[in-house]
Amino acid sequence: MKIAIRFLKVLLFVPLWCAAEPATVIRATDLKQEPATDAATVAQLKENTAVEALERKSGWTRVKAPAGEGWVKMLALRYGGPGAAKAGDSGVSQLFNVARTGTSGAQVTTGVRGLDADMLAKAKPNPAELEKMSGYAATPDRAAGFAAKGRLQPQQVEEVK
Amino acid sequence: MMRMLLAVVALAAALPAQAQFRLPSIDINKIVDSAKNVGKAAKDIDQPEEIAIGRDLAATLLGAAPLVNDARMQRYVNNVGRWLAAQTERSDLPWQFGVLDAPQLNAFAVPGGTIFITRGLLERMKSEAELAGVLSHEIVHVLKKHHLKAIQKAAMSSLGGDAAALALKDRAGAARDKLISFGTEMYTRGLDKSDEFEADRLGVVIAARGGYDTYGLPAVLQTIQAMNAQDSGLALMFKTHPAPGERLDALGEKMQPTLDRYSKQPQLVERFAAEARTAK
Repeated sequence: MKIAIRFLKVLLFVPLWCAAEPATVIRATDLKQEPATDAATVAQLKENTAVEALERKSGWTRVKAPAGEGWVKMLALRYGGPGAAKAGDSGVSQLFNVARTGTSGAQVTTGVRGLDADMLAKAKPNPAELEKMSGYAATPDRAAGFAAKGRLQPQQVEEVK
Repeated sequence: MMRMLLAVVALAAALPAQAQFRLPSIDINKIVDSAKNVGKAAKDIDQPEEIAIGRDLAATLLGAAPLVNDARMQRYVNNVGRWLAAQTERSDLPWQFGVLDAPQLNAFAVPGGTIFITRGLLERMKSEAELAGVLSHEIVHVLKKHHLKAIQKAAMSSLGGDAAALALKDRAGAARDKLISFGTEMYTRGLDKSDEFEADRLGVVIAARGGYDTYGLPAVLQTIQAMNAQDSGLALMFKTHPAPGERLDALGEKMQPTLDRYSKQPQLVERFAAEARTAK
């Protein structure tokens, strides 16, 4: 029992990204030595290469590929084994799966309570909670001070249509 | 009065549009005509009305799941959200942000500037930049009035023009209840896909304006993409949004230059870890 608890504790403290996760490269991509476009290229990965994703740094993900370890553009990766890479394909099958589980009450054995479609449909207004929420709101000034503390620098960025 | 009007609208719907008769003070033909005029009232909702509708909807969502009872976490999320909202053209709205005590992964935008994120989604995030990415996406729904327009459309086609207009203006009454139930239902049906893609693109822009690493939103989408699609905590989000892989594809297509230009901005991993975790 003690060992089991210790094991669980260890699991809790392992950051999510430490665990290698199977992923697939969705297009031909350079495997870089460092997370930067001007870094040396370790290898060129072909479309659909299966890799293990290790960690993310901004727009880059460190992966273990058959050709070695290095960094690839994060948006070139999709999680899951080969086949997950086919654009649109994984999404449709995911949606299909969800729809299938969703319509059959018997299959939803894990049925988490809380905010699902049923709860929303049955919900009665809770004005007291809304009042409480308003009490937590930040003023623009306080938010600006908070941003400054985090060294966030506002930028002029135009909308992209 | 409202009930009578609704009954009349129902009656009118059952009759041919050219039926010629009048009730005292109600012109049936006018109601039938405006029922056809779907979309007109979209321009008619002013900001106070938008905020009032939002409050009713927000109270209902809070009836489904209350707030996480953690003032520090709630204030933190409000600081991040208010800072991002200040970078937009609707900075003057009464913005407020709340973490709902629910294990599912989801986030909701309510007209008028109220944004919710679930505890389940917050727990999966690893940095303030990720939180900023999700809040920015929701802020766009408010900026572009995605939900407001969808509610109006539903109300117009179901209640008819004049009844819908009354329901939008009058806070007490049967038509208003109907309107709020349309609104709530929308959160289980979802918006147009194009609204979601727009919220992703502009969400990245708003996070960049706020000075955050722009990869926050794509990172959250990738986290969700990596999860088991049959996880019941994802059911509602998957039902109401395009698949995460599809959203990542769309961001890659249109947003790569913006994403890369601002990717070196802060992620604030430590501050997030200190502030966003519930005190155990």
